[in-house]
Amino acid sequence: MSDEIRKRELRGLQEDVSRATLPDEGRVVESAPAKEPKTPGEWIRLNLFSGPFNSILTIVAAVFLVFLVFQAFGFVFLNSDWRVIQVRMKGYMVGSFPIDEVWRVWSSLYLVTALAGFSAGDSVRLPRGRSLVGGVIAAVVATVIVVYTTQTGLVRLLAAAIPALFLASNVVGRLVPPKTMRRIRTWGWVLIFPAIMIVIRGFDGVAPNEWEGLFFNLIAAAVGIFASFPIGIALAIGRRSELPAIRGFSVVVIEVFRGVPLVAWLIFSRFIVDLLLPPQLDLPDIIKAFVVMTMFSAAYIAEIVRGGIQGVHSGQYEAARALGLPTTRMMALIVLPQALRATIPALIGHFISLFKDTALFSAIAVTELLDAAMRLGLEFQGQDAQTLVFAALIFWTIAFSMSRWSQRLELRLGVGER
Amino acid sequence: MKPPLWRDIRVLHVAGQVAFVVLVVFVLREMYLNATFSLAERGRVLSYDFLDSRAGFGIKETFIPYTPNSSFLSAFQVAVVNALVVTGVGIVLATILGIFVGIMRLSPNWLLRKISQGYVEIIRNIPALVQIIFWYTAVILAIPRLENSISIFGFAYISNRGAAVPTLEGGEDFGTWGLFLLAAIVAAFLVRRWRTKVFDDTGQPHYRFLWSSGTLVGIAAVGYVVLGDPFTIETPEIGLRNLIGGISVSPEFAGVLVGLVIYTAAFIGEIVRGSILAVSKGQKEAAEAIGLRPSQQLRYVVLPQALRIALPSVTNQYLNFWKNTSLGFFIGYPEIINITRTMTNQAGHELEIFSLLILIYLSVSLALSLVMNILNKTVALRGTTR
Repeated sequence: MSDEIRKRELRGLQEDVSRATLPDEGRVVESAPAKEPKTPGEWIRLNLFSGPFNSILTIVAAVFLVFLVFQAFGFVFLNSDWRVIQVRMKGYMVGSFPIDEVWRVWSSLYLVTALAGFSAGDSVRLPRGRSLVGGVIAAVVATVIVVYTTQTGLVRLLAAAIPALFLASNVVGRLVPPKTMRRIRTWGWVLIFPAIMIVIRGFDGVAPNEWEGLFFNLIAAAVGIFASFPIGIALAIGRRSELPAIRGFSVVVIEVFRGVPLVAWLIFSRFIVDLLLPPQLDLPDIIKAFVVMTMFSAAYIAEIVRGGIQGVHSGQYEAARALGLPTTRMMALIVLPQALRATIPALIGHFISLFKDTALFSAIAVTELLDAAMRLGLEFQGQDAQTLVFAALIFWTIAFSMSRWSQRLELRLGVGER
Repeated sequence: MKPPLWRDIRVLHVAGQVAFVVLVVFVLREMYLNATFSLAERGRVLSYDFLDSRAGFGIKETFIPYTPNSSFLSAFQVAVVNALVVTGVGIVLATILGIFVGIMRLSPNWLLRKISQGYVEIIRNIPALVQIIFWYTAVILAIPRLENSISIFGFAYISNRGAAVPTLEGGEDFGTWGLFLLAAIVAAFLVRRWRTKVFDDTGQPHYRFLWSSGTLVGIAAVGYVVLGDPFTIETPEIGLRNLIGGISVSPEFAGVLVGLVIYTAAFIGEIVRGSILAVSKGQKEAAEAIGLRPSQQLRYVVLPQALRIALPSVTNQYLNFWKNTSLGFFIGYPEIINITRTMTNQAGHELEIFSLLILIYLSVSLALSLVMNILNKTVALRGTTR
């Protein structure tokens, strides 16, 4: 038994390392000098010039950094013409989404913002000290970018409504009783995706082949999470099953979908789905791509959920058995709720990597964010560097802020502490 | 008392599995029928015979012999070798860079720590594809054109048509000289062991690096003189459309390699950092207490233990690297996706080609993780079975 526990601990350690999101600066300081510096001069001596070798390293690194900053400065302020981006901002965001229907995208954005603000609860605090400085700088930079890249006052107003709505719904979330708040939060996140689909597609809405730009990337990643979640859970339970036929089937499905890169699945999706499904079922190409992406994502989700299930203490199983619960109810009522709670940060990580992977849809002629940027680069010859850099900036901002959010969530959920 | 048959858990298990297998077989059969039906509608059959027929398309960059007259199968082999070469070179470079990034992240030097942190945070959160396209279009293709190639002392050239470095051109006695080289390596190894033994026995300074490298160079040089110029150094030249001679890399190869190495190194760096932090603090303190220098503490005490923790996660990164070579498709590097796509355009047979693709991705992944597992076993603590 103790052997089993040690194995589990080792596995946990391994997972911690593979996730390697150790945000706390406190542990880094372990290797830093133990003496607490008092004056700025002392700090510089301790941290930058503590010996001849260290001093050389500092000087080399500083020269390198100055060079980089000069290059970046020249690129951003001297050599680039960012008006291209201002003119084509809509192309980046929604592509050729019909302009009369763009309100649907804004409404979906507001829905997500409101729900995020509502669920953030008391993790939204007035920043103090260093984080205040960082927050102010980020806010100023964001404002400058938004003002500079948008053309009309209306769009600026609509963009400014996002932080306002976030804060407002956060206040609402704190005012309702905690129990109601938690219930709304859970159901909200379960229902958000269907709700958005109704807003986008319902009432003579916009079909998937017109979803473009960043909007496409976000929707595709959301499809990859929400549609594949039930399949992923089923595969995870199947892989843990005692029945060899079911276990074998799950293992094969998971390993085949994980082992082949997503580009291959996307490019061949047209042929595979056409050939394997009944010909009467005439699906648009983009839906075929979504089908294979859902299976691809389900294989990854299965592995995440399996990790969560393995993390549930064996005592929980024994207790459920002692109460006389049959397997299905034991999984549904005891194991999965605990397992899924522990997998939320990993699922956000999966969402981030799926979001990054949606750039691959350009292989099947979908004008998503990267493809929009590359078309822009072709259109404005010689400016392909900044059109690409802007796309990279959008990818980075979203992925980075989500990974920060998941790190905080991880601390709050206390994952790995149980 | 025995429960009735329909409540006996063993019977239920067997019955359930049989039903499940029947269901799976039924679905697979339906799919097979659909496939053959759709194919028959287009006048085709499921067959792998086309692999032997003439491919008829050229491939820009090949590491094994290939002409448009070769078969589809050899085109596929070229693609697999191309992807394997990028992976092989790439994971070595990414590991080296990643270890540097991870160690820098824990350096007492504030500036280095912040540079490493910035690198990781920026690179990890941008899609690898965006980075590869950026390196390829904005950096590599922006390098001077062929006529104005950047020349490094006339030996190596870099241009947007590729980069070339000098290579050895073997003469008649090149093989014999190879034997000399082999002997030199063996001798250098023996000398190194002898010096280590001397040091262990007497405590005299060993200088084993000087001794062994001296032996190596000495024997190789003697061989060179005795055989009378067994090889010459061939320097590349600027041709009309390409760099001629030497070992050259195409811009596409460089784009995939640079993009993926920089991307993967950020992840490996985080793994290295996490693993070093996971080594018990007492180990480093003990190393300090017995008087090892900081570099020795790292080299002999901390890193070997961190390696043990890092290996499984690093294996994952290697597998990702292998799968990510498929991104070369977007910049026209002739890897597996690119070639299979051309093959389907030329020959059809999408299902057959896709099955080959699945097979090769899975078997290389399997082989890679097998090798890494063996490595993992050799470094794992004795007694831990995992």
